[in-house]
Amino acid sequence: LNPVPPESTAASRDEGGTPFVERVDDHYAGRFTAMASPCDVLVDTDDREEASTALRLACTEARRIEAKFSRYREDSVVGAIHRTSGQPVAVDEETARLLDYADTCWRMSDGLFDITSGVLRRVWKFDGGEQVPSAAAIHALLGSIGWQQVEWHDRRLTLPAGMEIDLGGIGKEYAVDRSAACVREVVRAPFLLNFGGDLFAEAPRRGGKPWGVGVDDPERTGEAALYRIDLSHGGLATSGDARRYVRWRGKRLGHILNPKTGWPVEDAPRSISVLAPTCLEAGTLATLAYLQGPRARAFLEDLGVPFRLA
Amino acid sequence: VRAQLRAAACLLLAAGTSAVARAAGSTQLDVSTLLYGEQDRARIVEPIFRITRILPSGHSLSAQVGLDVMTGASPTGALPSGQVQTTTSASGQVRTFAAGDVPMHNFEDKRVSVDAEWLKQFSIVTPAVTGHYSDEKDYRSVGTSVKFSIDLMQRLTTITVGAGINDDDVFPVGGVPPALSTPGAPAVATTVEKRVTSGLVGVSRVLSRRWMMSLNASRSEEEGYLTEPYKVVSLVVPAPVIPGDDEPEAEDDDGGGSAGFIPTGEVTERRPERRARNSALASSVYHFTEDVLYLSYRFYWDDWDIRSHTADLRYRHELGSSHVEPHLRYYTQDAASFYTSGIPDGGPLPAYASSDMRLGSLRSATLGLAYGFHVGRTPGEWTLRGEYIRQFGDRGSGDDDDDDDDGGAGALPVVNIATLVVAYSIQF
Repeated sequence: LNPVPPESTAASRDEGGTPFVERVDDHYAGRFTAMASPCDVLVDTDDREEASTALRLACTEARRIEAKFSRYREDSVVGAIHRTSGQPVAVDEETARLLDYADTCWRMSDGLFDITSGVLRRVWKFDGGEQVPSAAAIHALLGSIGWQQVEWHDRRLTLPAGMEIDLGGIGKEYAVDRSAACVREVVRAPFLLNFGGDLFAEAPRRGGKPWGVGVDDPERTGEAALYRIDLSHGGLATSGDARRYVRWRGKRLGHILNPKTGWPVEDAPRSISVLAPTCLEAGTLATLAYLQGPRARAFLEDLGVPFRLA
Repeated sequence: VRAQLRAAACLLLAAGTSAVARAAGSTQLDVSTLLYGEQDRARIVEPIFRITRILPSGHSLSAQVGLDVMTGASPTGALPSGQVQTTTSASGQVRTFAAGDVPMHNFEDKRVSVDAEWLKQFSIVTPAVTGHYSDEKDYRSVGTSVKFSIDLMQRLTTITVGAGINDDDVFPVGGVPPALSTPGAPAVATTVEKRVTSGLVGVSRVLSRRWMMSLNASRSEEEGYLTEPYKVVSLVVPAPVIPGDDEPEAEDDDGGGSAGFIPTGEVTERRPERRARNSALASSVYHFTEDVLYLSYRFYWDDWDIRSHTADLRYRHELGSSHVEPHLRYYTQDAASFYTSGIPDGGPLPAYASSDMRLGSLRSATLGLAYGFHVGRTPGEWTLRGEYIRQFGDRGSGDDDDDDDDGGAGALPVVNIATLVVAYSIQF
């Protein structure tokens, strides 16, 4: 799902080169592509240089994280882990912290949040079509899923052969928070990062008003907003079935899979937006809520976090 | 769950600096070359190399190295004469002038300067410390300054306070000449000192989403040897009033200033040992949707009785990935109290005297244009900036002779100056 701030219709072009910022009404906006998503950087300033700096810092950091953790890249840390064929491997500090975080999420969610569930993508194609895999195909993969099968301690990871890890469920949110930290170091103006729908606002806009964020309508993606969220500080992330889904027996099945069944979560809200101090927490909470299926609202109300459902 | 997640997120995000360090740091490199030319006078080529490194911790360090290569000629301050005249120059050369020419001394010098700056942004206060060193054949300058910028009212208002000090050494070629005495007299010292202390306060305020104004005031106090060792002042006697004298045709361009006097000799100049300089600057930046208008006005006054006004206008017009920026400036200045075009020969010498045109009353108008652009998809931005400056001194009668005579070296009242800057800036 891709919330698009209604106030930024014309973000800058990204043609693979150095992205640059453009004046949009009373602020600057720039766009680049990373992690297969459009990434917008909005800076509420009149200083083009400052906006350019923000864009450059965010872009550099996002692409660094993408390069380091992408499962599609042979030279990434994840690529290296996949080549270990069941042998233990020592990982660097940043990777270790990400794995620790994933480990915490897995424990908290009783195994619903599992970074080893990515192998299911081999059989599920969330392209809006009506093809669902056979029960046998899914069953064949379930043996390769389960964080409990992974040995993870003392910064050493042992991933059984045939298993994979996918940090995509937290990587983009992590990139948003890290990029925000980089931008914050040098940019004084209020800014907002939106990496493919995962957002972080550093501060309210000049004059104290919040950033207006429109959340995409899953049925009419890119055309209509379901609702608008005012974001002043912190993270905002949305889980839902807006862009990647299959149709099955008249139902829309979103791309978030239950690692225990190998089947998409059913009867979840179409869209869950959560606000939290960091984008990482917002994203994790939105995903955890979505994994609860029909109990998503109750789950979020119990937690007492600000959220919007549709 | 929420608290647990909060803790986990903090653990993940809090200490990530080592991994992020390389990415967050950014480096900006600016390379530029200034070409400065006064018609028939000084030529300056000034390449500058500047590197700024922003560290992920918020520290910013920058260093700049500049080299000025100056060649050409500068007026000595003496009046044109009907006779052939010679003067000595900084480099010990001798030049002979034809009648009617403004006496000039040739110079050739190189100046190397090194500047460094450190700054760090804390929540609302940004301290900055700078250091400066420059060295040339007859001048050395060492300085430092401290500045604090304080953000108030959600960064809508910024207050700046700063102070600096410079310790300079002047060691003219051939030694420091005695003041108000015949050039060539035995030097009184080899090295003399000059100290400059300065302070500034400023406030800038965001008035609306598009408009920002700032006001700055500064004061600096100079103390020590403020005289120009190579400049001289003519000694003059009234010209005999004889119609048909041969002088007017020899110096048709200088009729106003020296027609009534004939130079008979010259003495070295002398300026006061102190100077208190003040300036107040008001500037405004207004953003249209894309374009930006910069306006500023500066009032300057010092206790040498110089007062000056500067009005400056720039308009940045965006053209997609390039921009153009026309620039207009007008400057006008009153003469220093001790400025004189000549001292009556035989009379008592004044306490201070200088004929340096820069202390005289003058006006200048600047017309400039900058063009910033990218070359294809290559990184970095190029800027070309050209300026044409026409400077009118008031020593001559001014308006009647600024059309063609300024081509010769004899034209004191009007100086044409052209500058061209080629700059390249890249961040990585």
